[in-house]
Amino acid sequence: MSKLLIIDDEEGIRKVLSISLANDGYDVSVAAGGEEGIEIFKKESPSIILTDIKMPGMDGVEALKQIKKLNPDAEVIMITGHGDMDSAIEALKLDASDFLNKPIKDEALSVALKRAEERITMKKKLEAYTYDLENMVRMATEEVKRRSDFQNKLITSSNDAVIAADEKGDIIIYNGGAERIFGYPRVEIIRKMNIDKLYPPAIVAEFRSGLKRRGDADLSKWKEVAIVAKDGGVVPARFSGSILYGEDEVIGSVGFFQDLREIKRLQEELIKSERLTATGQTVAGLAHYIKNILNGLKGGTYVLNVALGKNDRGKIRSGWTMIERNVGRISDLVLNLLAYSKERKPEPEDCFPNEIVEDVCALMELKARENNIEIERDLDPLIGEVFIDPKAIHRSLLNLVSNAIDACIFDPTANKHWRVKISTAVEENHLIRFEVTDNGIGMDKETKGRIFSAPFSTKGERGSGLGLLVTEKIIREIEGEISVESEPGKGTTFIICLPYQEALKNVKGL
Amino acid sequence: MSKKVLNVEDDVDITTFVSTVVEENGYIPIVAKDGEEGMRKVREERPDLIILDILMPRESGIKMYHELKMDPSLKDIPVVMLSAVSKRTFLRSQAALTEFGDETVPEPQEYLEKPVEPGDLAEIVKKILG
Repeated sequence: MSKLLIIDDEEGIRKVLSISLANDGYDVSVAAGGEEGIEIFKKESPSIILTDIKMPGMDGVEALKQIKKLNPDAEVIMITGHGDMDSAIEALKLDASDFLNKPIKDEALSVALKRAEERITMKKKLEAYTYDLENMVRMATEEVKRRSDFQNKLITSSNDAVIAADEKGDIIIYNGGAERIFGYPRVEIIRKMNIDKLYPPAIVAEFRSGLKRRGDADLSKWKEVAIVAKDGGVVPARFSGSILYGEDEVIGSVGFFQDLREIKRLQEELIKSERLTATGQTVAGLAHYIKNILNGLKGGTYVLNVALGKNDRGKIRSGWTMIERNVGRISDLVLNLLAYSKERKPEPEDCFPNEIVEDVCALMELKARENNIEIERDLDPLIGEVFIDPKAIHRSLLNLVSNAIDACIFDPTANKHWRVKISTAVEENHLIRFEVTDNGIGMDKETKGRIFSAPFSTKGERGSGLGLLVTEKIIREIEGEISVESEPGKGTTFIICLPYQEALKNVKGL
Repeated sequence: MSKKVLNVEDDVDITTFVSTVVEENGYIPIVAKDGEEGMRKVREERPDLIILDILMPRESGIKMYHELKMDPSLKDIPVVMLSAVSKRTFLRSQAALTEFGDETVPEPQEYLEKPVEPGDLAEIVKKILG
C-alpha cells in the first residue's frame, strides 16, 4: 500500500482528501504546514505528497524543495489556487510532478495520482533495469578480464616462445619463452623492436610477403631455423607462424619458436655414445684378430726353433711359411686400417679394368684351387682403356673375391661344384658394372644388414671385419655404388657400379 | 710302434704347430682339414688320440665330436678339444644336440682354449697316451 502525505493548512481539505484517499487504499498522513510536513516525510517517507502552495510559515514550494533534497524520487503534486501561477512555475522548475487546481475535482485527483503511481512504477522498473544492466556489464567485464587473463597466462606460461606483432611488425607480445631463446628482455622488445630486426632474415621475408598480400605466405609448417640471440650465439629452434587477419585486412602476425638446444645436445650425446660403443666393439674385435695373428707368429717361431735344432729343412720351410703368412695378414690389416681411417684421394689414370680383374683372379687362383672352387670370368670386351682409379678397383675386387671364396669354403653342403664368377659390363651414363657372384653359404637378412655398418665378421677370429667396410668406403670415395643380393644356401652377389671417363690418351688424340 | 695323433683343424698354422709338438714328443702326427676328412682318417688310421678344433668349414667339430661319441667302435678314442670357443659354449652346443633326440655324450677328455703353449699341449698328450 502506497504511503501518501497531505500538507494543507485548511483542515477541511485535509479531512476530505484524507478520507477519500484512505478509501482509495492509500496509507494517508496529514500535516497542517510545511514544517510539520517535512517532519512527517522524514519519518514516514511517503512516495506521494500532495501539498498546498500557499501556507503560512513554510509554503508548498519550500516544502517541495526540501522534500526533493531528501528524496529526489518523491512524487510531489502541487495544489494550486487562483493566482498561484508564479509559484507554480517555480515548483515546476523544482521538479514537481503535477498540479491540481482548487477546488480539487475527484477526476483530476485520480488522474494525477494515477500518473504519479505510474511514474513511481516506471522509476522502480528503471532502477531495476539499471541495476540489472550494471550487473550485467560488471559480469561481462569480469568475464572478459578472466578470459584475457587466461589467454595471457597461456602465453606467458608457454615454454615455447610466442611473439606477436602488429601489422607494421612492431612486437606487442613477447613471452618468457621468447626471452629464453632470443636473449632480449621484454622491456627491450615490446613496442620497441620490429620483427625485421628480431627474426632470421628468411622468416622476415616470408612474414613480409604474407603481410603484404593475403595468402602469399604459408608459415604454418614447422621448420628448423637458426636464431641469432642477443649475445650473438646461435640457437637452433623449430618455427611455425601465422599471419593474423581481421575482417579483411591484415592485423598482425604471430610466431612460435621451440627451443631445440636440449634436444640437439641429447642427440649429440647419443651419437657420441654410439660411436664410443662402436669403437669399443671395433677395438675388441681387432684385438682378438691381432692376438690370433700373434699366436700364428709364436707358433711359427716355435716350429722354426725346433726345425733349426734338428736342421730339418722341410720343417724350417713350414715354420718360415707360418711366419710369412702371419706377417702378410698383419700388413693387410694395417693397410685396411689405414684405408678405413684416412680419407683416400681417388687416383684415376688410364687403365684396362678387365686386366685388373685378371690380376685379382690370378692372385686368388691358388686359394680357390686348394678348396675345389672354380673361378669364372665373364668380361665385356667393349671395355677398353678408360680413365678410372685402378687401385680402388683392385683393392675392392680382391676383398670381394676373397670373401666369395670364403663363402664357398664355409658352405656346409657336401660335394657341391663351387663357383666364383666375376663379370664386367659397360652401362649407360658412363658406368662400369662389376659383379662378384658365388654359390656358397649365402647370408640371412640380419647378416646382410650388418656388413657395411661396422667391423663385422662371420669368420670368427679369422676375419678382421674390415674388408667390406673398407671396400664400401673406397667405392664411396670414387663416387661409385656398391650393393648386395644374397640368399642363405644359394649364394651372394656383390655389385659395384663405377663412373669412368674416356682415357686421357684418347681425349688428347682428338 | 709309435702312437698316432690326429689333428682335425682347418688352420694350417695350427696343424703345423700341433704336428711339430706331437712329433717332438715321439708320436706320429696325422692331419685333417675338416670334420668330413677327419671322420675318414679316423676310420682309416685308427688314431690313439684326436685333437679337434670346433670352428671349421663343412663339418664342424661340434658335429664330429658327437659322431665319434655315438659310434661304439670309436667312442673310446680320447678327444682333446683345442678351440677359441669356450668350453661352456661347446658343452651347451652338445646339450643342444640331445634336444633333437640324440643321446647324451660324455665330456671330452681335455678342453684347451687357443692359444696353447707347446709345453702345455705336450704334457696333456703325454698324460693321455702315457
